[in-house]
Amino acid sequence: MKATSPYSPAAHEMALLQERLDLLRREHQGTLRALDNILLERRELRRVNAAAMNILEDLEEEKCRSLDAQSALLNMLEDIEEERREVERTRAVLEAVNRELEAFSYTVSHDLRAPLRAISGFSRAIVEDCSEALDGDGRRYLELIQDNVHRMGILIDGLLAFSRIGRQRMNTSDIDMDAMFHEVFHEVMAQEPERDIKFVHAPVPPLNGDALMFRQVLVNLLSNAVKFTRGREGAVIEVGYAADVEGGAYYVRDNGTGFDMQYADKLFGVFERLHLAEEFEGNGVGLALVERIIARHGGRVWATSILGEGSTFFFTTSGVKMA
Amino acid sequence: MIATKDNEILLVEDDSNDAELIMRAFRKGKLATRVVHLRDGAEVMDYVANARGGRGMARLPKVIVLDLKLPKLNGLEVLQRLKSDALTKDVPVVMLTSSQEECDIAKAYALGANSYITKPIEFDAFSKTVTDMGSYWLRLNRTKRKNEGDM
Repeated sequence: MKATSPYSPAAHEMALLQERLDLLRREHQGTLRALDNILLERRELRRVNAAAMNILEDLEEEKCRSLDAQSALLNMLEDIEEERREVERTRAVLEAVNRELEAFSYTVSHDLRAPLRAISGFSRAIVEDCSEALDGDGRRYLELIQDNVHRMGILIDGLLAFSRIGRQRMNTSDIDMDAMFHEVFHEVMAQEPERDIKFVHAPVPPLNGDALMFRQVLVNLLSNAVKFTRGREGAVIEVGYAADVEGGAYYVRDNGTGFDMQYADKLFGVFERLHLAEEFEGNGVGLALVERIIARHGGRVWATSILGEGSTFFFTTSGVKMA
Repeated sequence: MIATKDNEILLVEDDSNDAELIMRAFRKGKLATRVVHLRDGAEVMDYVANARGGRGMARLPKVIVLDLKLPKLNGLEVLQRLKSDALTKDVPVVMLTSSQEECDIAKAYALGANSYITKPIEFDAFSKTVTDMGSYWLRLNRTKRKNEGDM
């Protein structure tokens, strides 16, 4: 049986209040939870915001860095462009110089030869047509004119050969330098059959270069060695390769007259001579040609000497082929 | 009919020194009865036009000695005109040049030059070469003309 309380308005009121209180409490708790959630969300938002700010900052830095890199790159490009213009300018200057050189060698060959030919021709004509009008001195002077025409002819040809070497196109191949030294020495000696020279030939490495030009180098160095050992008892010419000298250098050594080292810088100049033409003949361009050829092969040539004891000529090249 | 003058040599040379010395060499070598000396290419063309205008028969030199470097028409142009003209194409032409630097030798031969002389500096060699070359072509030309005459 269900116990029923007697109806009481106060109790009913109380119950209603209680009910509303519960509801309010529940609502309040809901609000509190909602507030908590909002707080949490806000915190989360703040974190996200901070993270986003960090990312933005990083991005900003990145952007700065990339701008820096970009401007560095632009600078570099500008530098390269400047470099290219410089190279272009140098090339233009070189081409102009080359054209001048060609014009010069043409002038030398054509315009200097013509008057010289006239001097030679008319002085010969005097000897042939008017010899009865000449005394001994007169004839001798005319002979001297002929000798000098001959010498000047040799100088002009030398100068031409020198200017030609600079313009000639290089034709490179592997060169057996051992064989070339041997051949050239015997060629040079064939011109001087009365000379007795001991040839000491140490093995040398092959190289890559223009064979005709290197032959010219060896002809000039070896014929110099032969020339400057003239009159020397027990003349010796030695060729070889010094691996410890400037990363490896070919050499031609003689025990001839030698030269005074204080003039060593003049040795390779065009028309520079360290000996009298009467003592040792030559056109004054032999070693200048050697230097030009070696320079075109990325190398260097130099000489050491003791006056009266002999000289050694060294040359290097970027084309040496080591085994 | 084409007739050639007795041993006439036509020398085309603008350098008066060279010209005088070459003519002296011809004289000494008793090479030619007559040497005509012209100084530039245009004069050669006038000379050829005159030869063509000769009444009845054209008068031509036995040999032409032609310098490569000439004012107005240069030597190669003159050579080309001489060799493409029916009147003059059979006259031997000896080219003269001042130096081996000039790489026109092949061009000159391609255009029909018969010989080529590089003027050496020393004149003895030069006059000997010129005389030898001149007498070679004179003799060759004479034989050829004679053969033609026999035919």
